[in-house]
Amino acid sequence: MAKFLTTIRLAVGAIALLCVLAIAAPVSAQDRNPDGSVNPTASAVKEDQLLRELNRIQGRVTIPDTKEGVLIQPAGREWREFHQVTLYWIGAISIIGMLALLVIFYLMRGMVKIEHGRSGRTVVRFNPFERFVHWLTAACFIVLAVSGLNITFGKSLLLPLMGADAFAGWSQWGKYAHNYLSFPFTIGVVLIFLMWIGGNIPSRTDVEWVKRGGGLFGHDHPPAYRFNAGQKMIYWIVVLGGTAVAVSGYILMFPFYGGMTVAGMQLAGIVHGVVAVLFIAAMLAHIYIGTLGMEGAFEAMGTGEVDVNWAKEHHSLWLEEEARRVGGATPRATPAE
Amino acid sequence: MARMKFLCDADRCIECNACVTACKNENEVPWGINRRRVVTINDGKPGERSVSMACMHCTDAPCASVCPVNCFYTTADAVVLHSKDLCIGCGYCFYACPFGAPQYPRVGNFGSRGKMDKCTFCAGGPETDNAQVEYEKYGANRLAEGKLPLCAEMCSTKSLLAGDGEIIAQIYKERVVKRGYGSGAWGWKTAYKETIAS
Amino acid sequence: MLIKRTEREKRRGHLAASLGNQSVGGLDRRTFLRRSGLAAGGLATLGALPLAGMRKADAAGTAPTGAGITIRKNICTHCSVGCTVLAEVQNGVWVGQEPGWDSPINRGSHCAKGAAVRELVHGDRRLKYPMKLVNGQWQRMTWDKAIDEIGDKLMEIRAKSGPDSVYWLGSAKFSNEGAYLNRKLAAFWGTNNVDHQARICHSTTVAGVANTWGYGAMTNSYNDIRNAKTMIIMGGNPAEAHPVSLQHLLEGKELQRANYIVIDPRMTRTAAHATEYVRIRPGTDIPVIWGMLHHIFKNGWEDKEFIQQRVYGMDDIRKEVEKWTPEEVERVTGVPGKQLERVAKMFATEKPATLIWCMGATQHTVGTANVRAFCIALLATGNVGGFGNGANIFRGHCNVQGATDLGLDIVTLPLYYGLVEGAWRHWSRVWEVDYSWFEGRFDTVTGADGKPVKMINAPGIPSTRWFDAALLPKDQVSQKDNLKAMFVMGHGGNTVTRMPEVAKGLEKIDLLVVADPHPTTWAVLSERKNGTYLLPICTQFECSGSRTASNRSIQWGEQVVKPIFESKNDYEVMYLLAKKLGFADLMFKNIKVENNEPVAEDILREINRGGWSTGYCGQSPERLKTHMANQKDFDLVSLRAKDGPAKGDYYGLPWPCWGTPEFKHPGTHQLYNTNLPVKDGGGTFRARFGVERVVKTKVMENGQEVEKEQKFNLLAEGSYSKDSEIKDGYPEFTLGVLKKLGWDKDLTEAEMAVIQKINPANPDAVAWSIDLSGGIQRVAITHGCIPYGNGKARANAFGLPDAIPVHREPIYTPRPELVAKYPTLPNARQFRVPNIGFDVQKTAVDKGIAKQFPLVLTSGRLVEYEGGGEETRSNKWLAELQQDMFIEINPSDATERGIKDGGWVWVTGAENSSKARMKALVTERVGKGVAWCPFHFAGWFQGTDQRSKYPTGADPIVLGESVNTLTTYGYDPVTGMQEPKATLCQIRAA
Repeated sequence: MAKFLTTIRLAVGAIALLCVLAIAAPVSAQDRNPDGSVNPTASAVKEDQLLRELNRIQGRVTIPDTKEGVLIQPAGREWREFHQVTLYWIGAISIIGMLALLVIFYLMRGMVKIEHGRSGRTVVRFNPFERFVHWLTAACFIVLAVSGLNITFGKSLLLPLMGADAFAGWSQWGKYAHNYLSFPFTIGVVLIFLMWIGGNIPSRTDVEWVKRGGGLFGHDHPPAYRFNAGQKMIYWIVVLGGTAVAVSGYILMFPFYGGMTVAGMQLAGIVHGVVAVLFIAAMLAHIYIGTLGMEGAFEAMGTGEVDVNWAKEHHSLWLEEEARRVGGATPRATPAE
Repeated sequence: MARMKFLCDADRCIECNACVTACKNENEVPWGINRRRVVTINDGKPGERSVSMACMHCTDAPCASVCPVNCFYTTADAVVLHSKDLCIGCGYCFYACPFGAPQYPRVGNFGSRGKMDKCTFCAGGPETDNAQVEYEKYGANRLAEGKLPLCAEMCSTKSLLAGDGEIIAQIYKERVVKRGYGSGAWGWKTAYKETIAS
Repeated sequence: MLIKRTEREKRRGHLAASLGNQSVGGLDRRTFLRRSGLAAGGLATLGALPLAGMRKADAAGTAPTGAGITIRKNICTHCSVGCTVLAEVQNGVWVGQEPGWDSPINRGSHCAKGAAVRELVHGDRRLKYPMKLVNGQWQRMTWDKAIDEIGDKLMEIRAKSGPDSVYWLGSAKFSNEGAYLNRKLAAFWGTNNVDHQARICHSTTVAGVANTWGYGAMTNSYNDIRNAKTMIIMGGNPAEAHPVSLQHLLEGKELQRANYIVIDPRMTRTAAHATEYVRIRPGTDIPVIWGMLHHIFKNGWEDKEFIQQRVYGMDDIRKEVEKWTPEEVERVTGVPGKQLERVAKMFATEKPATLIWCMGATQHTVGTANVRAFCIALLATGNVGGFGNGANIFRGHCNVQGATDLGLDIVTLPLYYGLVEGAWRHWSRVWEVDYSWFEGRFDTVTGADGKPVKMINAPGIPSTRWFDAALLPKDQVSQKDNLKAMFVMGHGGNTVTRMPEVAKGLEKIDLLVVADPHPTTWAVLSERKNGTYLLPICTQFECSGSRTASNRSIQWGEQVVKPIFESKNDYEVMYLLAKKLGFADLMFKNIKVENNEPVAEDILREINRGGWSTGYCGQSPERLKTHMANQKDFDLVSLRAKDGPAKGDYYGLPWPCWGTPEFKHPGTHQLYNTNLPVKDGGGTFRARFGVERVVKTKVMENGQEVEKEQKFNLLAEGSYSKDSEIKDGYPEFTLGVLKKLGWDKDLTEAEMAVIQKINPANPDAVAWSIDLSGGIQRVAITHGCIPYGNGKARANAFGLPDAIPVHREPIYTPRPELVAKYPTLPNARQFRVPNIGFDVQKTAVDKGIAKQFPLVLTSGRLVEYEGGGEETRSNKWLAELQQDMFIEINPSDATERGIKDGGWVWVTGAENSSKARMKALVTERVGKGVAWCPFHFAGWFQGTDQRSKYPTGADPIVLGESVNTLTTYGYDPVTGMQEPKATLCQIRAA
């Protein structure tokens, strides 16, 4: 992590230093002739000195590709260090760590059952549009995650199994998929943000919910509105993380547009990589709880309708709200067939 | 085996761009791909120096390290080459490269990158030496013909040196001693983790 | 590039064999070092490269290099350095370029242009077939029809307006043979309106330097600069204009630990490597030199013995120099006295010192005076006529030296014979055509004084003024009629100042013919709708012939490939034209013509037969080809062959190469070098201005005014070239002089017979320069004497408008307050047109132009482009490197105007309400108050993109505004040189 911070610091510093470069490096006294006139040979810039002062040597090129004006950027080696070491560790720890946690949790807790059993009556939790948006985003995310992880870990994990040519072909397709699916994914994130922002503003209820550990342990069922604090967390991870990977991703996808420098590109790469692996780890937990982890949860995004008892246990306040909204003592429900 | 390196003696470089067009000429490099370029530092000020830069064929090359598909390889002459059949145009090597060497043709979607192209030290690519397909993908293979990169061979002031690292370091050292000044073997520290004492 | 691949495959087999299947690591150290441009055995021998190993076999093209592949040797067609180009050709296609290691001039090196010349003969932007403009549309036509129509039109104009109404604008890109033919064509047509790029590059050098010591050329060579301990580069940027020359300058600087001083308004790429940079205000060269001489004379650093023996009139200089105190110099030029004193001391005392200059010095209204001042500085310090010193004038184009020598010029026939009757009679004898025939071809007009003027002896119109000759009222042009036709061969249209008026001139004339590999600016600048022809000419790579590098070395280039598309070479086009115009038989009387193509070797032999005055007589095609085939034998520093068939020769037989080819003179590496015998390339200053000067002065004697006559000896005193039998000055050799010395007996009978035939009435008057036998030269040299005599150089060049150079402010000066003290010369008629510079300057001062246009505008070269730039801007490898026209502006001037680096600006000029749109390059290269533009761009005119006006597919890749749209009036009185280096402009953000 220290490395990572160093890299960011260097990248940001480099931008600042570009400005410094614009100011003439003053010619020191001994480089001048006795009468103060200039001796260009003696006052020649020295690589050593520039590297010490600036850590990025930049100048003028006549070709329009101004990024080629960066002559030497030792920061490239820092970026490599980030990419090959720091990101590996962050990725490995967060993803494998999360998987391990989930396995341990599953072994300890097993699937969270609907305590009162299925009521046979269901209530609509997500309408078809909401489900479409969710699955659109989810499907894109999975492809993006797999193709993304492939870029970082593929050569260690898959390359030896697949061989160079097959792996390159697969990675090439992965790159295409990654680039193209970024657009629907981004749309999904935006829609998720707009669609569910109403239910995801943190509130007092969340404090209680968190205090009671979300009912993950024991048989407690802290009250919650439509989204409990855990789901809100996922929401914000998706919205904020999604925005971060999208922005950094588009910077990477449209390299050097809008006057972006190599330092900016490196920073984008760092943000994209780190946010993505953390995002993936978080989504593993989300996937777990929505499938294996909890009985009746998957239906919310499956059919869109959840069992009333499930709703009572996990989203009691929401169920009450729904009931009031519909105007009857009980929410409009259909018997489970 | 020789350890091939480039060395640009900035006290000789006059930004004439012969290296750039020689490279274009020898390798038929298309418009917009700049395998080699000349950068002028402190332009217009006393102390201005120009440096011709391309892939330095680094020791422990960062590009090779970050490549997601391991398309890079190092030849017996320590020239860092890559396979365009494997390259997926991800652009990572550009971020890792301390010298801005990797170039990408703009192809297809989003004006994004095609397969990476860079200086080969006039040593072609993984295909059979001097096969037609090698030339089309990577350009000339002068090393296989017993010649050095044309950029250095045609340098107007013998500023750009190419060849065995020890010999060109010796040449540079002798120059510095003879003339009494030297602004450094630009890029050597970063590329080869060594400098030439002057 | 399929061909290239197959070829490489085959060649590799050979190379692999020669390497003994070793890897690259097996290259031996010597071979390796040679390729790195470095010598084995350390830097001490740097420069003396062993040229052995496998490469040699390749380069010589004698070894089996694989089936179908041949190596052809030609010379780069860009600048005057003369780099050898090795072309690999297979199946008639130029497939690769290799370094020409053996050439002592470039040792394998090239600049951006040289390394990209292969593209020139592949270029799909070339003009492909003859075309003409019909109602504003380009139409393809056949060569036959084109020559026919052009010929008819020329004859029509000749009948109506006389031969002088046709202007033959030739090229510094011609081979020597092409340049000579072009001059000859104009002579046979009957006009002296024939010129080429030297007018706008070094015409003032040629005039100024020749008027000082004999010949107007680089005295030493690029290679010889390696011997210099001090070099001053003033008004030149060879790092961009002559990049390969920097190899010699920088290695010389390193090996000699030499002083490398750049005096320039601009901190150029050349200045970046200087040990001392002196920034001056544009147009103040003379005050800077006088400022240096002030210190030199004051401290007694001058070379007194040299001045006494070899210089006339230095005392007159002292008087002028006295006025230039350090304070006055600083006031006018901006250079601090202390700095100038140190520069002066180095120049005078750390010898040998050389002065290098280019167009920064020559392109001024005071161009001739500038170069004269430079020569005087060299003379005062004894820095000319030896190793490592001299006036190293870097010429521009690849054969501008040769084209100048061969008289592609308004004031002379080939080889500086001038236009006097004697000159015509000399060439009439060489051409075997009666002098009277030529007289009949030319007009005779009535002069201002009512007397008849024979136009055959009248200098023509300079290329800088052609449009004035088209636009001015008829009575102001001193010939039968205005200009009606321009026949342009290999010459850009954007190279002369005042382009808005050029465009008008183009619209006025009846016929425009552009014979060039590219359409050039001529084709698109004006609104012409008809009467315009484009003839596709091949490059020198598609043609064989010789070219003269700046150092006077002549190199033979062999045809690399056949002319591409329908293009033809210069010789053939001129032959076809001569045939159409009816004098081909006379003009090519002694030149073999094969399939309409005159044979280059034969043309050179004719030049040899007439080129005595300049020593163009010894360089037969056979000798030149021997040199090209044995380049490896020549020494890097002395340029002398140490071995081989050319042993003893200097590379390229730099002129003067005296006598007949059989006499085997080695050529002359350093002009006027008294340290060598004449037979080894030694010499003295040329006794060109008589043996003595008589000055009549009026003095008061005993209260009475009496006229006194003073006589000054113009011959050298006690100085002579090594082994000279005459140990003092002597006049030029004639048969009469030989007789006086008793050396006439050394002439052979055959030689004597030729001399008798030249002037049967008075054979004693036959001089070394018109003796077609070469006998007089041979005998003089045998006795250790140089044929042209041993004279003094002239510090006082009596006869020139400013015999002693004086400072004169540019016509448009940013310092109008200095004009009263340093005005330009009065108005005068020069070269058939008026020069009203004085009026223009006065009006500019009166109107306060300097307030409206406060920035000095100067112009110069980019390394990627050359000249008008059409050819190089069409080369994709070069065009990519400079895609926009720009103007350099100092950061403080830019801030004042809200201009950003890379932003678009409008630049306005002081005349014609001219304006131009370009990008700003904010840089400290230029000082405050100075702006600089490259001069290679064209194709945009005052904000309008003219791309659509080019014939389809022949438009250059990069177009841009021409700086000459903004440049202004101002002409040197001696040569008609324009002033693009110091005018005024204003810049505002667009």
